[in-house]
Amino acid sequence: MGILLFITVLLIAACGLIYELIAGTLASYLLGDSVLQFSTIIGCYLFAMGIGSAMSRYIHRGLVYRFVWIELLLGVIGGFSSALLFLAFAYTQGFQLLMYAVVIVIGVLVGLEIPLLMRIVRERYHFRDVVAHILTFDYLGALGASLLFPILLVPYLGLVRSAMLFGVINVVVALWSTFLFAKQLATAGTLRMVGVVVLCGLGIGLAQATRITMAAEDNIYADEIILARDTRYQHIVLTRFKDDIRLFLNSHLQFSSRDEYRYHEALIHPGLSAIAAPRRVLVLGGGDGLAVREILKYPQIESITLVDLDSEMTRLFSTHPMLTALNQKSFSSPKVHIINADAFPWVDANTDSFDFIVIDFPDPTNYSLGKLYTTAFYKAAGRHLSAAGLMVVQSTSPMFARDSYWCIAETLKQAGLKTYPYHVYVPSFGEWGFVIAGHRDYELPISLPAGLRFINLEEMPALFQFPPDMAPMPMPPNRLNDQVLVRAYDQDWKDISH
Amino acid sequence: MKTSRRQFLQSGGAALVGVSIKGDRAIAGSFVNDSFQMGHLLRDGAQFAQANQVVKRAVVIVGGGIAGLSAAWRLNKKGFSDFVLLEMNEQTGGNSRWGENEITAYPWAAHYVPVPGPKALYVRELFEELGVLKDGQWEERYLCFSPQERLFLYGKWQEGIEPAIGLRAVDREQFQQLEDFIQNFRATGKFTVPMEIGFSETTAELDRISFAEWLHAQGMNSRILNWYMNYCCRDDYGATTSTTSAWAGIQYFASREPEEKGPLTWPEGNGWIVRRLLERVGKYVQPNRMVHRISRHGKRFSLLAGNTEYQAEFVIFAAPTFLAPFVVEGMAPLDDFEYSPWLTANLTLDHFPDSYGGDATWDNVFMESPTLGYVDATHQSLRSYVDRTVWTFYWALAEGSPAENRQLLLNKDWNYWKEAILRDLERVHHDIRRCVSRIDIMRMGHAMARPKVGAIFSAERRNLAQGRGRILFANSDLSGFSIFEEAQYRGVTAAEKVLREIGGRA
Repeated sequence: MGILLFITVLLIAACGLIYELIAGTLASYLLGDSVLQFSTIIGCYLFAMGIGSAMSRYIHRGLVYRFVWIELLLGVIGGFSSALLFLAFAYTQGFQLLMYAVVIVIGVLVGLEIPLLMRIVRERYHFRDVVAHILTFDYLGALGASLLFPILLVPYLGLVRSAMLFGVINVVVALWSTFLFAKQLATAGTLRMVGVVVLCGLGIGLAQATRITMAAEDNIYADEIILARDTRYQHIVLTRFKDDIRLFLNSHLQFSSRDEYRYHEALIHPGLSAIAAPRRVLVLGGGDGLAVREILKYPQIESITLVDLDSEMTRLFSTHPMLTALNQKSFSSPKVHIINADAFPWVDANTDSFDFIVIDFPDPTNYSLGKLYTTAFYKAAGRHLSAAGLMVVQSTSPMFARDSYWCIAETLKQAGLKTYPYHVYVPSFGEWGFVIAGHRDYELPISLPAGLRFINLEEMPALFQFPPDMAPMPMPPNRLNDQVLVRAYDQDWKDISH
Repeated sequence: MKTSRRQFLQSGGAALVGVSIKGDRAIAGSFVNDSFQMGHLLRDGAQFAQANQVVKRAVVIVGGGIAGLSAAWRLNKKGFSDFVLLEMNEQTGGNSRWGENEITAYPWAAHYVPVPGPKALYVRELFEELGVLKDGQWEERYLCFSPQERLFLYGKWQEGIEPAIGLRAVDREQFQQLEDFIQNFRATGKFTVPMEIGFSETTAELDRISFAEWLHAQGMNSRILNWYMNYCCRDDYGATTSTTSAWAGIQYFASREPEEKGPLTWPEGNGWIVRRLLERVGKYVQPNRMVHRISRHGKRFSLLAGNTEYQAEFVIFAAPTFLAPFVVEGMAPLDDFEYSPWLTANLTLDHFPDSYGGDATWDNVFMESPTLGYVDATHQSLRSYVDRTVWTFYWALAEGSPAENRQLLLNKDWNYWKEAILRDLERVHHDIRRCVSRIDIMRMGHAMARPKVGAIFSAERRNLAQGRGRILFANSDLSGFSIFEEAQYRGVTAAEKVLREIGGRA
């Protein structure tokens, strides 16, 4: 009996520590800043253990019965904790809240274990020996767990499976406790039945761990990929590293949540603020809703029409909590009308007039996208401009793709528009360029919406200055029948990568 | 009858859906637009029904291809409306006919017009009217989008059809040498579009030898250069260099300026022009009217078509000229009019093959193939995302005798030609069968005039081309070869002559 008892202590101690380590590791992987995560989780956990220990004094009778229940509960909650937290992170916004709740519940239960166990066995040993032996094996279990966790469990089993494995151990402890302490237990039948059911549940969980991992673990922690989706039109990948969310379309970076405000403020405000009374805005591309978020900062705007090819993309940015947090639910605004259509035929067929047109397409990496950067396209877009209207075009980098940038500016000019090129620095992109174009002259705005983090009136004139290494290049316009831009863009990036 | 493995799989396919080899899907399709049956009635002197009504018009245009439609366009534009155009087929347009399915419109034959040079006045006039040419600028969306052409050779694609990779120094020299020759010919001003403008007896010598003989005489023996010359002759004339007059071979290159990026093209090919012309002159067009007899009674012509006798003062015969001796009473047989048989097919693709390689391109040619490759009908779409498309497959039966090839066209069934087309495409696109859901095939026994040796300066042809009297011939074959600009020029010129005659009498 003695040795079995101490093995029990060793095992439950290991289980408790494993759950704590899993929570700490998960939080570090998913949220970053491991010092903060481990500190707060260990703190919460130990504090919760204290609560558990304190609560143990209110348990007067049925010690073994309650101990077995605690082990069963730990088996379920601890065993599924990792899977639950992964899925919560992937599909909800309540990850942190849930994580601390799980840590506290496990801590309380673990805090109850040792005091109860001590009281269960106190009649068989001297108090002095009970304390010494139980605490010795408790700390031995912790040592074993802390070595096992990084060396074997994480690399070979992964977090989801490790938690379940230790859940199984908790349940096994519960089951054998019904035999070990049979004398102190009035009825064991129900407990054993529950134990077997929980064991089966964990067994199924272990067998399905790969699928859960597929659904959550690999997607989140291994590749830091929150979401990967093949739509009819493109491959959408959303990654997260610490607090930085990045969107890739066909493996081209579209934004980084850390600095996208620079890009989108620069895309919208220099142009839109320069229009006296803008009412109607057209956004071509921009299915992430971030440009629309900036446009909604102008209360006088009555309607925003967004044309994006991919319904899956606009749906994702209308519904995914992590993404609607980024675009501040801009697609839910009643002013916004989303149209999922191919931009060129839509622009060609539609006859509406707009005060501001935002043209924010992926870079011209191929001839299909290149059509959206041609004189023919800009002429068609220009026909939608109201008398006071302006358009702004994302125009690649004047630094890394200098020929391409000035080719786009020349194309706009050849489409019969007055052009006003400018550029900003976006850390994740580098120097990035835009062109404001219109049938009328452009003058710098005299006011801006409140709350901008990057664009201000004082610095704005400097955006329109190009230092020598980004200065204009003589380039022919990009035409449907002679797409010099696609070749120039290809060449520009080849030059960079050599 | 022994069945091949493929036939077995196809026939058993219905029972074995999901079990048969991946890719062996059923491909639907048929022959379309067959018109040889009607032509053979004329050739064989068949009996036609008696006319039971008479329609009187000042002018009757026979044939609704580009020549006939252009004659109608001219008459209409000059405010003349006392005419009718009789078309044998259900669909007007001749070699510029087109089709359409749920994916796109597509051409049945002629699919582009090179950017017209300064001498193609009538073409420029038409294109200004249609908004293709505005203030001296060609409308961008009607110019062929990038990337235009590519050639598959040595297991890879290159941009452009003129071979540019794997050339030896001697090949380069000969391409340059040819270019110099062409420059000189171009500078003479005797090779023009339309050809009638620069036509000169001083170039007659070139019409007495074949293009192959001429190339050989210049020492141009490069295999690559000769492949390219042969490809050009097959593409424009449906003939090989040895069955093409040297004059015509040179005309192909020397008649055009080094142009702006072109050519002009539309999803339905030159069918787009047909549609625009029909918007203007459709009211004069009577389809399903095969003229089987034209006879002269004093100052009037009598034209029999179906149940109607058309009485007219002038006839513009814009149908292929070889038909005329079978129709026009008293006309002597023609000896110098030879035609190339062609086959075109439109393939519906549910998706692009994985083996596509590179960006979607308009014109795709395989070097090691007797065919002319395929043209992508969705290439001129403004859309950025295209997943389904229609390929128009071109095959000029240039090798061997036209008569034998015509027999082959008639005797082999749809399945034979379908397999021939797929096997040709499989040279480059091994997975093509997995992509194609439908193949419609159009057989044309007399698709285009063949400018064989002596054809251009043939007295018989020149005589008809002069266009005297009240029956005026207008088909492009009067130029010796079939291209849009020649057809349009002949049609407009015939209409001008009629207008002069009628105006002069008034």
